[in-house]
Amino acid sequence: MPPAVKEKSKRMAQPHAKPKTHKTKFQADLAPADDHMVRTLKAELQMSSNSDFLIDALTLFRWAVSERKCGHRIVSESASGERKVLLFPRLERVAPEVTLPHVDIRWTDKELGSLAELVSGQPAEPTEALIRAMRR
Amino acid sequence: MAVTIRRLEEFDEVAAFDCGDEPLNNYLIRHAWTNQQKVSIGVTYVAVDESAPHTVLGYFTLATSGIPRDRFPKKFVRGLPPYDLPLILLARLAVDRRFSGRGLGHALISEALTITLCVADEVGCRCIVTDAYSDKVGWYARYGFVPIEGTVASSPQKMFLDVRTIRRASSSESSPAERG
Repeated sequence: MPPAVKEKSKRMAQPHAKPKTHKTKFQADLAPADDHMVRTLKAELQMSSNSDFLIDALTLFRWAVSERKCGHRIVSESASGERKVLLFPRLERVAPEVTLPHVDIRWTDKELGSLAELVSGQPAEPTEALIRAMRR
Repeated sequence: MAVTIRRLEEFDEVAAFDCGDEPLNNYLIRHAWTNQQKVSIGVTYVAVDESAPHTVLGYFTLATSGIPRDRFPKKFVRGLPPYDLPLILLARLAVDRRFSGRGLGHALISEALTITLCVADEVGCRCIVTDAYSDKVGWYARYGFVPIEGTVASSPQKMFLDVRTIRRASSSESSPAERG
């Protein structure tokens, strides 16, 4: 009987226990070259755990995104003062400069009528080429 | 070739660019940087190879535009949203002919449409339009651009692509033919 009491008291204690943190599994299929790169970087950084590697990489990436979001450029500078600017297409998409300037286009009345019909109609199904273009 | 597409920079090598069309060459060589940095009427994106990261292989220029609602003919206004129509203009797209046939045009339009979708998500726009040379209308049509009727015969053909179609393409995992 004593064990049952213990179990009950355990159950009663649960609401006051700290909530469990859920961890998400992250799995990636890497090409041999990328796998080699990960192993080399882990060795250089003296890391043994994939999780630690991912967390550090994520921290660095998050920092880079936040810097570009502020419009800051990411630059490396050599001992002699030579500078290189990081250009990373995905990062450029979060940069505020993605805002485009405005121009006026000359339209004929017939063009505006045709455009109005296109805009107010149902969107067309994407073509194969468009799907490929958007699947990079 | 490991091609990157990024914004035009001041010291990019554009002088030798030759797509076979003088106005398109001239725009990149003489006006693109000024229009981007000084007068801000168009942003030019260039394709470069990592082996020569400042030699421009191809480019496109984007700008935003809009049409006031009262410009549309009255009989068409009823079907439109009750606001001015925001849109993106794909003002130019060209590939140096020494690098044609390597998929650069596809990579450039792919980036242009990705940026269009990004702008549509961030600030809103309804469609992308372009002025296509008559021999390029078929190429744009492959990506879903539709000719806008009423273009003056001597002018390039205005073409239209709905942002909703681009968004569908972006969220589409695979085509029925590929799944088949």
